[in-house]
Amino acid sequence: MAQGNRQETTNNPARVAVTAAGVISPLGFGLAETLESLRSARDCVTPMMRFSVTQCRCKTAGQVSDSRLLASHPQIPRSGRLHRASHMMIQALQELMTQQPEFEPELTVVGTTSGGMSYGERYYRSLNGAGDLRHAPTWIANYPAQKPVIDAQTAFGISAPCQVIANACASGTNAIGHAFECVRSGRYQRVLAGGYDAIAEMVFVGFDSLQASTPEKCRPFDRHRSGMVLGEGAAVFSLENLDLARKRGAPILAEIVGYGISTDNFHITQPEPSGVGARQAMERALERAHISAADVDYVNAHGTATIFNDATEGKAISALFKGVPVSSTKSMMGHSLGAAGAIEAVVCLLVLQHQFLPANINFTAPDDDVDLNIVGNEARPAPVSIALSNSFGFGGTNASLIMRKLPPSPTLERTDEV
Amino acid sequence: MRLAIAGMGWVTPLGTGVDSVWERLLQGEEASTTTISEKFDARVYSGFRVPESALNGISHPRLRRASAISRFAAAAGLQALESAGLKRESQNFERIALIFAISNGGVTYTKRFYHEVVGAGAQAASPLLFPETVFNAPASHLAAILGVTGATYTLVGDSAVGLAAITMAEELMANEALDYCLVVGTEEIDWLLCDAYRRWRLLRAAPPIEPFNKRNLGMILSEGAGAIVLAREGFATIERAHPGGYFSRRADAAKILKRILCDLGEPDIDFVISSANGTFVDQAESQALQAIVPNALAYTGKPALGESVGAAGLWQIILAAQGLSSKELPPVLHVDPSIRLRLPLSRTPIPKARRAVVLSCGLNQQAAGLRMAIQ
Repeated sequence: MAQGNRQETTNNPARVAVTAAGVISPLGFGLAETLESLRSARDCVTPMMRFSVTQCRCKTAGQVSDSRLLASHPQIPRSGRLHRASHMMIQALQELMTQQPEFEPELTVVGTTSGGMSYGERYYRSLNGAGDLRHAPTWIANYPAQKPVIDAQTAFGISAPCQVIANACASGTNAIGHAFECVRSGRYQRVLAGGYDAIAEMVFVGFDSLQASTPEKCRPFDRHRSGMVLGEGAAVFSLENLDLARKRGAPILAEIVGYGISTDNFHITQPEPSGVGARQAMERALERAHISAADVDYVNAHGTATIFNDATEGKAISALFKGVPVSSTKSMMGHSLGAAGAIEAVVCLLVLQHQFLPANINFTAPDDDVDLNIVGNEARPAPVSIALSNSFGFGGTNASLIMRKLPPSPTLERTDEV
Repeated sequence: MRLAIAGMGWVTPLGTGVDSVWERLLQGEEASTTTISEKFDARVYSGFRVPESALNGISHPRLRRASAISRFAAAAGLQALESAGLKRESQNFERIALIFAISNGGVTYTKRFYHEVVGAGAQAASPLLFPETVFNAPASHLAAILGVTGATYTLVGDSAVGLAAITMAEELMANEALDYCLVVGTEEIDWLLCDAYRRWRLLRAAPPIEPFNKRNLGMILSEGAGAIVLAREGFATIERAHPGGYFSRRADAAKILKRILCDLGEPDIDFVISSANGTFVDQAESQALQAIVPNALAYTGKPALGESVGAAGLWQIILAAQGLSSKELPPVLHVDPSIRLRLPLSRTPIPKARRAVVLSCGLNQQAAGLRMAIQ
């Protein structure tokens, strides 16, 4: 669909509106707290509390408070048995449904990488003699990746079929991008899209074993960057046919105008060094949006702060965009893997709505090999009409999403038609 | 939009290659189970495994350290491309999308990775194993082997995920920039999976799988892969992929299956490829079939091939395509002949068959279907 992106799905593709959103992340519970954290460039990475990291290089992560999370929706039957990931999805969807109580998606597309992994870990540790297996059926039932999505839908009476995309760290952007294409093609009018992931020991240790995570601060695009920190959370969007949403009087928060996907096949954990895969994803998103790189006002970078990602992505961004403001908000909240693309799409949404540039914190010195206009350390006001968000993942999977602020009057048409 | 099947590939415990496996099914053969054990637990399980010899000839640098699930997928995917007449060296792989249907993923390497962490601490974690634990590792390997540079997606779900992948393929193929979509479903067995499904009361200690038995005696897990090349023209048409939905409780599964059959059903459905596997699924499907398409023949391949979860949907689609093209169905094995369903109890000619439904009720709340036709 976004493959090549050179041919249209139909002669008259539908426009795609974001009519509601919900988010939970280390930055906060909900859009308002998230906005406040972004504006104040808050560092929400904290010492790891969930499991022992004494043998790991990295000791920190962006974490969602359990006490607050589990207290958020006690009315849900058997909520104590649900995985944290389910609680996060419920929390995010609750915020969305508060904005759009009548929203009835025909399809749900959600990205993740780990599902209920920590329940799998408990089960395995218990099998190995370290624990009680009485709760094993609960852990097993709540382990599958689709379960948090189904739990969240069930909580709000949504019966849409679910597609759960697991394209590693690009999953959230892929999910929103695919949902965008589904509405754009006219096949669906309303799609729920997003991403989630909850921190798990196995994943934490895995990134540590690759020496991808850092014992220091997360400094994307910095000359002294030394790696990523993990994060967690969930974010969801209601995507609707824009014309139909307007007809029913729904608020239009933003318009999604472009999505690009590419696969670079270089290495299972490392990006193609020239940045061709990242560049293709961005180019395809721009083509889909019928805009030029010069139209983009802000890039929310994948920006993991690993040596390889930032060098590659930096090359790709600087080759396409001249001087566009760039930041990686992972510096504030960590890398939430399958949720990252969805949470960062929320960041773009807030940027468009509130006209500011979020910061790339912990930034000390630019990397001489990367020519980027980094929004260092402080958020600042700026006019932003179009924002692009990148997500890249293991397996050489790359995805870019473009969102734009909708002009206040429906008589103002999209950029390419002006 | 209608898609067609242009090629298929099949790696199963009963053999490799569509024609070979189909012929053995027609003969009433079933795969043999092997014993699956684990160092830290005395309990043993039965599973249908793919023999190592089935993967002879599949070699690529990306597969050197890859888990079985990736190698099954690569073998089935390459078979499907070959049967569609697509040559790796001359094909424009920018115009091919790749969709993987995965359920449990690379569980063997995941277990090994975590076992080292649990046993010896985080410093023992293997950076070589970790990337293979990621759900999209099999898709990444096949994309690299083929040189796919565009859309590659991995969908995760239960045994209905293969049909969800077909729905996604329909969505992708709405773009004329794509000529083909290669859809692969794959699964590997491990003791850990067997133990988990047993604790969930879905597994039987030893074969056979007795489909539609009211006592829900349980399933036997299986492994392998199925792949189909979807194009705009081919020997069998997917008239409609039904995205289905989910059921909150097992008792509600029949309701959604009935809805899927109603939506897909036409008076001239000749047969249904069921996902009956000896669990609660069977009664749900039985109720739906009797209520909506009581005159259609129902076939399940799971007693012969096992429950391959992530690969199961693709296997069902291959069965439907083979049934329509060869105009016969294999016998359903180990079934009580008194059951109130029209089942082929022996090799059954269906000379006028033109239309089939694939119905999939997953073990983890998902259900989907599709309708296929042949000229």
